[in-house]
Amino acid sequence: MTAMHLNKQEKRNDVSIRVLQVITISMMLIFAGRLFQLQIIEFETYGPLSLANSIRQENVSPARGLIFDRSGRMLVDNQPIYTVTVTPANFDSGAIPILAEYLDIAPEVIEERVQAARRYSWHRPSRLISDISFHRFSKMQENIWKLPGIGYHVESKRHYPTDIKGAHLFGYLSEVTQQEYRSSSRYSLGDKAGRSGIEFTYEQDLRGELGSRYIRVNALGQALGPFGEGHMGHTPVKGADIYTHIDHDLQLLAEDLMVGKTGGVVAMDPNTGAILALVSSPGFDVDRLSGRIDMEYWMTLNADTSNPLFNRAISTMQPPGSTIKPLMGLVGLDFGIIDPETEITCRGGFTLGRYYRCTRQHGRQNLVEAIQNSCNTYFFSLMNQTMNRVGLNAWHRHTSSFGLGQMTHIDLPHERRGILPDSAYYNTHFGGPRNWGIGDLISVGVGQGTFSSSPLQMALVASQLANGGYRVQPHIVDRIVYPDGSSVLNTPESERIPWINEDHLRVIQQGMRKAVSEGSGRFYADISGVEVAGKTGTAQNPHGIDHGWFISYAPYENPEIAIAVLVENAGFGSISAAPIAGLMMEQYFHGQIRRNWVYQYVKTFTPREREANSGTSSEENL
Amino acid sequence: MTWYRQFDWLLIFCWVLLFSAGLVAIYSATLGPVSQFLPAYIQGNFLNQVVWIGISVIAMAAIQFTSPRTFQQISYALYVLCIILAIATVIWGTEAGGARRWLVIGGLRFQISEMLKLATILAVANYLTSRRDISAEHIGSALVAVVLMIIPSIIIILQNDTGTALVLLAIIPVMLFWSGLPYGISLFLISPAIIAYFSIIDWRLGVLATILLTVAIFFIQKRPWLTSSAFIVGNLVVIGVQLALNQILKPHQQARIEAFVNPALDPQGAGWNVLQAKTAIGSGGLWGKGFLEGTQTQLRFLPEQWTDFIFPVIAEEFGFVGAGLLLLVFAILLLRLLAIAGEHRHPFAQLVLVGVAMTFFVHLVINLGSAMGLFPVIGLPLPFVSYGGSAFLSYSIMLAICLNLHFYKRDFSIYS
Repeated sequence: MTAMHLNKQEKRNDVSIRVLQVITISMMLIFAGRLFQLQIIEFETYGPLSLANSIRQENVSPARGLIFDRSGRMLVDNQPIYTVTVTPANFDSGAIPILAEYLDIAPEVIEERVQAARRYSWHRPSRLISDISFHRFSKMQENIWKLPGIGYHVESKRHYPTDIKGAHLFGYLSEVTQQEYRSSSRYSLGDKAGRSGIEFTYEQDLRGELGSRYIRVNALGQALGPFGEGHMGHTPVKGADIYTHIDHDLQLLAEDLMVGKTGGVVAMDPNTGAILALVSSPGFDVDRLSGRIDMEYWMTLNADTSNPLFNRAISTMQPPGSTIKPLMGLVGLDFGIIDPETEITCRGGFTLGRYYRCTRQHGRQNLVEAIQNSCNTYFFSLMNQTMNRVGLNAWHRHTSSFGLGQMTHIDLPHERRGILPDSAYYNTHFGGPRNWGIGDLISVGVGQGTFSSSPLQMALVASQLANGGYRVQPHIVDRIVYPDGSSVLNTPESERIPWINEDHLRVIQQGMRKAVSEGSGRFYADISGVEVAGKTGTAQNPHGIDHGWFISYAPYENPEIAIAVLVENAGFGSISAAPIAGLMMEQYFHGQIRRNWVYQYVKTFTPREREANSGTSSEENL
Repeated sequence: MTWYRQFDWLLIFCWVLLFSAGLVAIYSATLGPVSQFLPAYIQGNFLNQVVWIGISVIAMAAIQFTSPRTFQQISYALYVLCIILAIATVIWGTEAGGARRWLVIGGLRFQISEMLKLATILAVANYLTSRRDISAEHIGSALVAVVLMIIPSIIIILQNDTGTALVLLAIIPVMLFWSGLPYGISLFLISPAIIAYFSIIDWRLGVLATILLTVAIFFIQKRPWLTSSAFIVGNLVVIGVQLALNQILKPHQQARIEAFVNPALDPQGAGWNVLQAKTAIGSGGLWGKGFLEGTQTQLRFLPEQWTDFIFPVIAEEFGFVGAGLLLLVFAILLLRLLAIAGEHRHPFAQLVLVGVAMTFFVHLVINLGSAMGLFPVIGLPLPFVSYGGSAFLSYSIMLAICLNLHFYKRDFSIYS
């Protein structure tokens, strides 16, 4: 190699070194710039991102409020249940088979629930399965390391410490829908909300406020304990406790007596409208709906033709039958159509265009006797005269002031108003004013025809007849006690029904007392030690056996309780409904059942088919 | 002048700083609070690394007593030996993470591909030293050198170790460039890589890069055939990349590339690594979260955090200051190696120094580029910092040879 060549080579090497140095330095500057961009400029982005990675916010569901009876006895509380959660982002679908095995649940169900959880959030844990047994739970917990993304927590479910079923009273809960938790900050996926009963009506109070906590998690979704010593987040606010007017013993007995029967029972304090017992039968087992929804049971309930989810006590619409007669008498007195001495002769029926039959020939009847003997002829005649002299709508106004044909606004959902017909009703349903007349109204006077009402409404009528004519508001809840100690009393105002004349009312009350002491109520409802007033009723049922009614209150002087009982397809009210009210009166006043034979009678009561046939004669009421 | 004044202490200093940073990061990544989520054998990584550093110190010291000519003399033999061992690895090697890159000899696991880099550099340097002037007229010599480097690349690709193969391929233009390949042709050789990179991001960027590079090549070399082939090849690369992205690559490779272009597309899947690495780096801020305090590191959000993703560990726990200092040390190391190459008079030594410097450089670029989301994720360790015993030994031997060449610079000359 020559020196010149070498020089050229060295020169070239110098340039090459420069080129490589420039490449190296520029690349290092690019990296330094990128580092500056990520760590200094975009720190605000990545700092929170890394925090969000490792800190997970979890909703903490509040303890639902408790429900008590009138004496402070706990009727509904909460019980721990073990819940398995899934964080979809960390969950490996390959683990479904083992998970299914530990939990003893079909893999398809798990798959489906994981999908649902994904729709809720990828990164927040959702409830996968609620209410697994402690045995299953502990087995899964031991193997949780095999199940990334799977977590658990202990939640509570509704628990019913007494023997009261309270299906329609308390109501059931179910998990909130996607729409509900999306639209409310008070719910997260898997939370339950009241769907019926007072659980529904007082959902806002019982619910409480969601809390939250922050926990550290690793990339595998495993929780590593609280973050920031628990200073972050907030504790949930427990739901408010609810104190009801429910009388535990009375409710329990009413439920017991209604087993196997269809109908409703409402017992209330006639002076305040406070509900002491409320039963609809057939009922259902709220306990089986309290934890993980027992899908099979739920389907059975929905498919059951006897419709156990339907609250007959407040929603059924049945003709009240003869139980309406006391009120009809009061209205007649007020309009001056009759006075207490007015007598009508019953020759076994009433003729107006056609023949309306009475149960027998009562002979001369005044108002007290007519109520006592449940004389249809008297009330057919009264209705006829009322329609002729004051008209349907005046009659409707008076009658509706007792709460018939209207919502009572009891604190339960799905109440129905029933039908108290007026001219507008007939015009709508009979096709105009020319298509109906007095012939359609006569039977309304004995609680038949288009007339319909619920046991709650009839208990209200009985209460208002008993309390001297004060309109009361039925209500179950006495007071709501919030966790901070404050409480809200629920004391609806009572209001005197303006047109009621106390002397008139006195006459009606006498009639009701006699109906129990000497009339159709004397067999089962006339209990010892307390004077019971009441009225039986048998509502005609074109589809089968008649429905039995009984409304009552006691004591006759200074009433403390009013009870309405409806037993569907049970025949005469005097032998189907009255014994139930009678036993409840005994329980209420004596703290026990004194006539065990009546109890046995009610428990084994089966309506006789023959009675349905005997009832085919028109407007037979007893 | 006493011997120790001729010794390049700056390089040694950089080396010590780098492996120390590595030890700190490996400790944090495997023995920090994160260790509860790691299997036991990974928790042993820190001690393993310490042992390998010890072995490396002995090896480096031993190398200083060797004559620089020895490297030249053994280069071909070492090359052949490494090729044979590499083929053996393809056949009998142990798999790790889908790559067949370990050869177990006497219980020790060797990553032959690391040694192969050194052997290839030595062999190519030796070959090119005998054929100094590579110009358009002597293109045959260049071709032989290229073949010498492509053979190990192919074997390594067969080991499924794309990263290391890329390093070898990347050294080709550097070595040829140093040996006198005209600048225009050198630029032409590396242009496909640059065009491919931009084509992955957007094919229009690829076309733009092709045009700019063609213009640059035209101004440097002014040869019509070179300019036109640069333009044609550039466009072929753009088309090829599009084809590869949509047709040829396997789904998981496509996903990785897509994740690079848009990691937010699949944050739980292919985008996870990039996203978590960027989050770790970004959340470090100026000063970092502190030793053993990095949530990304300690809560197991970072993948491969003791090897390929060790840089995010440092960036997260020591912030911009710590990561910046690490970059600075690497810059000093590389620039010092290049400076030594420039001062050296022996072409073999120059080639080896440049080759080693560029090997480290390519490792650095790919590793940091992957971690910071500038490149698709390609698994390559960060030299001297990442965990990996035999790799550390290989890099240390490379550095030791550079130190040796510098130390004997006066004795080892073309005149002697």
